Amino acid sequence: MMKHLIAGIKRGLGLHRPGRSLLILPDDIFLVSFPKSGNTWTRFLLANLIFPETPATFANIHQLIADPQGTNKREFLRIPRPRIVKSHECFDPRYPRVIYIVRDPRDVALSQYHYHRKLEKIADDYSITTFVTRFLAGETCPHGSWGQNVATWLITRKDGDPRFLLLRYEDMVADTPRELEKIAAFLNITASPERIAQTVERSSADRMRKLEQAQSDDCELTKGSRKDLSFVRLAKSGGWRSGLPEAEVARLEDAWGHLMAHLRYELLFPEKAANFDSRFAETILHEASR
Amino acid sequence: MIKRLIAGGKIFFGLNPPGRRVGVFADDIFLVSYPKSGNTWTRFLVANLVYPEKNPDFSNINDLLPDVLGMSKRDLERAARPRILKSHEYFDPRYPKVVYVVRDPRDVALSEYHFDIKRRAIADDYPLPQFVSRFVHGELNHPYGTWGENVATWLYTRRGDARFLLVRYEDLQTRAMEEMERIASFLGVAADPERLAFAIERSSADRMRELEKKQGHLWSSTRETRLDKPFVRKAKAGGWKAELPGASVAEIESAWGGLMRELGYELAVGNGIHAGMARG
Repeated sequence: MMKHLIAGIKRGLGLHRPGRSLLILPDDIFLVSFPKSGNTWTRFLLANLIFPETPATFANIHQLIADPQGTNKREFLRIPRPRIVKSHECFDPRYPRVIYIVRDPRDVALSQYHYHRKLEKIADDYSITTFVTRFLAGETCPHGSWGQNVATWLITRKDGDPRFLLLRYEDMVADTPRELEKIAAFLNITASPERIAQTVERSSADRMRKLEQAQSDDCELTKGSRKDLSFVRLAKSGGWRSGLPEAEVARLEDAWGHLMAHLRYELLFPEKAANFDSRFAETILHEASR
Repeated sequence: MIKRLIAGGKIFFGLNPPGRRVGVFADDIFLVSYPKSGNTWTRFLVANLVYPEKNPDFSNINDLLPDVLGMSKRDLERAARPRILKSHEYFDPRYPKVVYVVRDPRDVALSEYHFDIKRRAIADDYPLPQFVSRFVHGELNHPYGTWGENVATWLYTRRGDARFLLVRYEDLQTRAMEEMERIASFLGVAADPERLAFAIERSSADRMRELEKKQGHLWSSTRETRLDKPFVRKAKAGGWKAELPGASVAEIESAWGGLMRELGYELAVGNGIHAGMARG
């Protein structure tokens, strides 16, 4: 009852976070990814690109690039339009325009494992095998499994669709300015090479690590979590090659090998690109769903 | 201000239908389909199978198999468990067990056209080809995505899963007994042939038409819609062959030809898969 009352008062004052009830505006742009796929980094890139006068930090990021779970309703009203809204949701036809970040699920699994240790959802000695089992079943977060989240977007919004920009985290790490220019073009922003360079520098892993150390408690993502583990971890791709046991790699490729190959992720077990379902998957992935 | 207060009060007391935000219990079973794909018929079939003693009709169908949009949050939370819930939503990872009813999109487009006339979303003389174009491009009078988006997101993610049962509307028409047996076994209902036949007979188009005449005003989907147009229309498969212009058929097939063929819907024009591939 007390909880209800506090929630009601917060709502009355506009201090509640809209979450899934967010009212979507026709010019909204959604920054979507499965968790642990570079969403926060991309938010920093976007914020620093769009608002060069306000360098992004962990304390102000939710006021620049909205997060329905972290930005309250009042702050939402102050965000200049078109708004960029962070989301981890599976396909939602109401999202007018979408930047979708995809990351190699072998790295995502590892990253989420360490993030859950940081959040003390699991202990340091938690079995990676058990974690991967839960990861495959989509039980490690409320946004479906990696395969479900990625596939529902890929089969409904083609690359080249003016409403959709697909980016690979790995491409962003390899050549950040090039990928950032794609984003700028998608957003109709003309950005000079200097502005692009400044944006990349202000969103570097080093700078983000320093900011995290100073502002850990000011951000919804890290508030109250273990201080001995950092949110901005390696910020690299391919960590799974040393960090993930081969048996777990095999299970991930077993489940999603076809989708991974489609996204140009090199498989450790190439035969897993074709599974029982790949002919069907191929048909659907190539269908022009409009 | 008053409006906002009332809205806040409604949320506080849980009086709004939750729709997509419905709270999900682990033992829930969802009866999902794109709109105009035989969801109501299947709801009657399942209701008559699971609750024959309740005498399902349009006045109580929403209590027996609640609609996530037709009932308040509070009532939904109090519904008897395990709940069998009706929904038109595109893929939702939280739905535990799903019966998904799919129907030939050429018939769905036609059915939606007539339904939108009945509920006054479009005028009697609205051009059908224009309606089909909007149907294909997702400019719809409902929030459930396009036919392709809705069907593909469920099929891709849940195909082959033991907690997912795909039922074709057309199969329900031509071999109701076999399909009802699959549904009964999926729901864990022990059903002898008499009970299945009873449920099928109690859910016939004729009987549903009779019920609609008497009870149309009681049911959320037909309340306040045009009385000169029935909700239970032809209840047949393949109506598109006579009523849908060739160009509209081609438009639908070029958008979703591959998916349609996967589902066993024979294409009328060209080779849909190649048309799709060329665009991709």
